Amino acid sequence: MLKPEKMVKVAIIGAKEQLGIASEILHKMNLLHIEPISETDYFKLGTPMEKASQASKNLLQLRSYISYLKLDPTKISLKRKFKREEIEEKLGKKLAEYHKEIGNRLDELKRINDSLKSIDSEISAIEPLKVLEIPPMLLKGYKTLRCFVGFVKSDPMEEIKKIATDFDFVIKKFEDQFVIAIFVRSEQENEVYRVLQGFGYKEIPVPEVEYELRISELKKMKEEFLERKKKIEVEIEDLKLKESELILAIEEYLSSEVDKAELPLKTLVSKQTFVIFGYVPANSFESFQKKLNEVGIVVEKLNFEEHELPPTKLKNPKYAKNFEILSKTYAIPKYKEIDPTTIMAIFFPLFFGLMLGDMGYGLLIFAVSLYLKMIFKTEGWQKLLNIGLACGVSSIFFGFLYGEFFGPFIVPGSKNPGDVHFIGDFLASLYTFNHGHPLFDRVEEFGVKALLFIVLMIGMFKMLWGFSMGFYNVYVEHGIKEAILEKGCWIFGILGLICLIFGFSYNLGIFTSPPPTGFGEILPKNLFVYGNTVQEARAVPLPIPGLVDGWQAGLNYFYLATLPLILIWFVIFLKAEIPKMGIFGAIMAVELLTWFGQIISYARLLAIGLSSVYIAFVVNYLSLKIGLEPGMAILPLAIVIMLIGHFGNFLLGILDPGLQSLRLHYVEFFTKFFEGGGREYTPFGKVKKFIEEEGGE
Amino acid sequence: MVEAMISDEAFIKGCAAIGAGLAVGLAGIGAGAGESGIGAAAVGAIAEDRGFLGLGLLFTVIPETIVIFGLVISFILMFAYG
Repeated sequence: MLKPEKMVKVAIIGAKEQLGIASEILHKMNLLHIEPISETDYFKLGTPMEKASQASKNLLQLRSYISYLKLDPTKISLKRKFKREEIEEKLGKKLAEYHKEIGNRLDELKRINDSLKSIDSEISAIEPLKVLEIPPMLLKGYKTLRCFVGFVKSDPMEEIKKIATDFDFVIKKFEDQFVIAIFVRSEQENEVYRVLQGFGYKEIPVPEVEYELRISELKKMKEEFLERKKKIEVEIEDLKLKESELILAIEEYLSSEVDKAELPLKTLVSKQTFVIFGYVPANSFESFQKKLNEVGIVVEKLNFEEHELPPTKLKNPKYAKNFEILSKTYAIPKYKEIDPTTIMAIFFPLFFGLMLGDMGYGLLIFAVSLYLKMIFKTEGWQKLLNIGLACGVSSIFFGFLYGEFFGPFIVPGSKNPGDVHFIGDFLASLYTFNHGHPLFDRVEEFGVKALLFIVLMIGMFKMLWGFSMGFYNVYVEHGIKEAILEKGCWIFGILGLICLIFGFSYNLGIFTSPPPTGFGEILPKNLFVYGNTVQEARAVPLPIPGLVDGWQAGLNYFYLATLPLILIWFVIFLKAEIPKMGIFGAIMAVELLTWFGQIISYARLLAIGLSSVYIAFVVNYLSLKIGLEPGMAILPLAIVIMLIGHFGNFLLGILDPGLQSLRLHYVEFFTKFFEGGGREYTPFGKVKKFIEEEGGE
Repeated sequence: MVEAMISDEAFIKGCAAIGAGLAVGLAGIGAGAGESGIGAAAVGAIAEDRGFLGLGLLFTVIPETIVIFGLVISFILMFAYG
């Protein structure tokens, strides 16, 4: 959690003859991340093993069949795994069979498709000739005449008349072009041809026999070809049903054979020995070493130097693994960096629920995710849908707090829950333990105010947290002094901003005004009350001190605390920036405003939610007014409006909270500490799906 | 005449409400203008490479912060004078 897996750098050394065994074992263990290396005077890069060329040739052919057959390994649910020996035994025979059964059929299909295409083009060439109404025998076979038959873009007769004396022609319109037949003397053939070219002449081949006869002949041929094609397609489909698993298993076998055979390309080889450099996860090192030692291959542990960057293998609990697709989209953490995936796994659904906060929509998201999980089996989809499930649960939880089920049942200005919600009375009765009020009513003015303050608190907290982790990252990489100069000073700056916001909120009466009657009755009365009375807070004309009524009006302890904090920040900041950028570095202090903006930016947690609440409220209100007496009583229309409205709001409710929650992490949180730029750990070997390895692992 | 009919308090309340509306509305227009360019570029990038979808959507919503600022200002106006 929070840190990528610890790695050990290793060198694997053995006699050259053992390279084959080594590649088998390494591939099976699937642990070693091999480092690229350069040759030295004595050690050269190896050459692929002999079996490589044959295996890759077979693999190429098999893959072309797979792409023709459109086999998708992710869509196949396996009945049984194949044994390795079984495949080795069948390999030659099956490959020959596939070549005969699939390869030949595919070749024939290709030939048939070619013939079909030429038939179609011939038929389409005869159509324009029919327009001319001249039999084909009259269009060719002259000794002293040349007959041009073809398309032109416009009428060329005027031009031809100028150069040719004795000629005859027929011209007809065909679609947006003209079809012509021009008969000229052979002597004038070239000149006429030149003129015709100027009009975009395109010749049409003239068939030997009557047009209708030829067309019916062609159509008959086409039918025969189509029939044959259909038959072959059925045969291939049968083969696909019967053989697909074995084909994919053989593909898997061959591709791992190729991988193994090409290992020497990443290996340094001398006359007698070989060396492979790479990284192994520290917790598997013992077993890794033992396995190789058994066959007489030596594994040495190496120390890695400062500048070296081991590959990153993310280490997260099972639940948080789902969120790796989100954090990896931003960047892969460096080996020594903090991996924020787990933090995201907690806060992403939390923010989502805080924004959407509706039991109805939450249930829908949960149900849809569950349903899609059964359809899309690929790893990426499963992870994404697991995130959907978490978001659904969190939405249901917050929906219960807010008392929303496809919209709120209490809205300021309406007395009766049944007026604004189709099951409003029922929902109100559900909350009888809280006097018919939701636990936290975010539509009510006090609720908005309190939630605004709460989300800003979350913002401040995450801002500080982000900088603290940035502090840690810099500390690990460059030491304590750099960490204070680069990140530590901002912590003071942010603390100053926090006091500023607190002072402002105090003057707005967020701490002082007690919740209205009914609001959160089960919460302790004084949760939000830090001051004495509302009047005391409201006595301040403006939340900014000194604007009216003299400087001391509106000044509070929070504002007083702001000043020294900002000063401390500014001094450290100048110490950090001036040596780097000279006096202009001071201008960079404007950056503090960015952080202020980013804290305020957390207000979207409130805003996005409120907008979806009001859309749902409007949809419910409209459909109740249209559907029921006293009103218009058009029930079907009301139902349509309700369905469409809630469906639209539901889509918005997934997209917007999802994106905004993601954004709050990427922009407002990750930028404080997360640099990324790590390399992903890609071990040599392959997770087998179709083949069973003997001895497990 | 009209001045006499509207009390000072009501006048201030009205102005605050108009200000709150302007804060959200104008900020929305600004954010929309910002998003239009990014959105067009993002769609172009997605057309080239489907894998860009997530990042493209993310870039597109970045200027939305501006509306949030407007909204916060309007909240504050409404809280202080509403």
